[in-house]
Amino acid sequence: MTDIVEARNLEKKFGDFKALDGLDFSVTRGSICGLIGPNGAGKTTTLKALVGLSDVEGDLRVAGRDPRVSRHKLMEEVCFIADVGILPKWFKVNQVLDYVEAVHPRFSRERAEQILSTTDIPANKRIKELSKGMVTQLHLALVMAIDVQLLVLDEPTLGLDIIYRKEFYDRLLNDYYDGDCTIIISTHQVEEIETLLSDLLFIDNGKIVLDAAMQDLENIYSEVLIDAGHYAEAEQLGPIYHRDILGKRAYIFEGVDRNRLRELGEAATPTVADLFVAKLRGAKRE
Amino acid sequence: MNSLLPAQFVALLRREVLENRTLFIAAPAVLALVLLVFALWIISMAPSARIAEGVEYLSIMFDGLSPAEMAPMFLMPAIPFIMMLYACVIIYLLNALYQDRKDLSVFFWQSMPVSNLGTVLSKIVTVIAVVPVFYVAILFVFYLLVVIALSLLGLSYDVQVAGLGYMFLAAVVSLLLFYVSTFLAALWLLPTIGWLLLFSAFAKRTPVMWALGVFILLGFLEDLIFGTQFLGNWIESRINFRQYIVLDLPMAMDRLFSYDMLFGIVVGAILITGAVYMRRFVD
Repeated sequence: MTDIVEARNLEKKFGDFKALDGLDFSVTRGSICGLIGPNGAGKTTTLKALVGLSDVEGDLRVAGRDPRVSRHKLMEEVCFIADVGILPKWFKVNQVLDYVEAVHPRFSRERAEQILSTTDIPANKRIKELSKGMVTQLHLALVMAIDVQLLVLDEPTLGLDIIYRKEFYDRLLNDYYDGDCTIIISTHQVEEIETLLSDLLFIDNGKIVLDAAMQDLENIYSEVLIDAGHYAEAEQLGPIYHRDILGKRAYIFEGVDRNRLRELGEAATPTVADLFVAKLRGAKRE
Repeated sequence: MNSLLPAQFVALLRREVLENRTLFIAAPAVLALVLLVFALWIISMAPSARIAEGVEYLSIMFDGLSPAEMAPMFLMPAIPFIMMLYACVIIYLLNALYQDRKDLSVFFWQSMPVSNLGTVLSKIVTVIAVVPVFYVAILFVFYLLVVIALSLLGLSYDVQVAGLGYMFLAAVVSLLLFYVSTFLAALWLLPTIGWLLLFSAFAKRTPVMWALGVFILLGFLEDLIFGTQFLGNWIESRINFRQYIVLDLPMAMDRLFSYDMLFGIVVGAILITGAVYMRRFVD
């Protein structure tokens, strides 16, 4: 398996603020990778850099190209939905299809129309007349009709209600993902995409703080709920984070043998959301 | 990929027209309508003797002239359209690489496999070659109505203004002159086009303030440091209205193949390259 994204020592400054601070990561072809981080962690800057919209320093290859020098060539292989990116409001739905059909060699109008026919989006309406949910549906339909190697989604469901959000990810997984393409998604709503992901990247303060395959998480991380009075035993094993739950304490451990942890209580794999808090809060405590 | 380029470029031009249809089509159409209504109002208000006098005057003026000789006179009513064209194009150029960054649709445009050079060139070709086509189309209808009105007026006052066909031909020739004039004027003003696009691509807000401010500052600094006014004089040498209108083909050729024109195109190309460079990143 080769990597579709290779990023080494990426740096980006906005004045004195380091948005990216020596970022290192790679994304395997065919994976669905979640880029998770708090606000201001550098998610959007990272994703913009991948599609050649941010001028970062460091080594960066996406689909075999440097995005900073050949964005337009790269965009034949990569699709991007930005967090704040909106489709031009003055376009009519069929005009935006005309446009993409004319400029994108890998766009299938037939496919886009077929996807749109399953929605309530009227072809002759202007985009400014559509609801936010419909605009996202339209954007997804456009992107799904383009045969690319990599799809980059930056908070694609931001501001949508739960029904649209669920539909968005269902469609992405069932109608789009075929195992050949790679998807990178950044989001706040970790719980909603947890089951989708094959790989996980946590980013904080412009650095990667976790880079793991979902299937490896259970071998590395464990969460154990421990009764009061046994905290000291747990603390000895060096947990990375704990939180109190109804008179008990949930400890999260990294790299500790699960058989050993079972002696303390029931051990399970933490959810991505809990792991996220643990990695970020834990790092701040140190 | 190469076979796709023309279709792609046409789509880019189409985008410009669709996005700016108010500036490119509605504005001149409204101007034509206003002028026609104004002319009708004048005719309805004026005493018939004065109208007869006017028609008589036109018939004398056009007497014995070929359509090609009549054409420059037909350019007169086009002057307000030329002024409107410049005003609209200046607004368009200042917004061309700014508006999509402001409303964030730039992320959609930049997610398509279209080069920055292609994007910027599409804006320039729109200004130089596409917008004048809409003006010509609107002026064609405008002239058609004027020629018919003149003939009807001639008939009702029993004066032969000039043959209907002759006047129609003159109007068509004048529209050709209009198109060639605007085309050459746009080439002549390529440094201005480049300057406006550069600041449209650069400014985080109010590109007009940047475009004007930096220019005034440069002129001021030149005067302060070198004690010269080259910049101001150069601009002054290029804003004579006569430079923007050609009345026949030899004049067009002279204007096109001159060192002044070439120099302006080189300066314009450098500024446009700057605009393409500025367009590279969104942050």
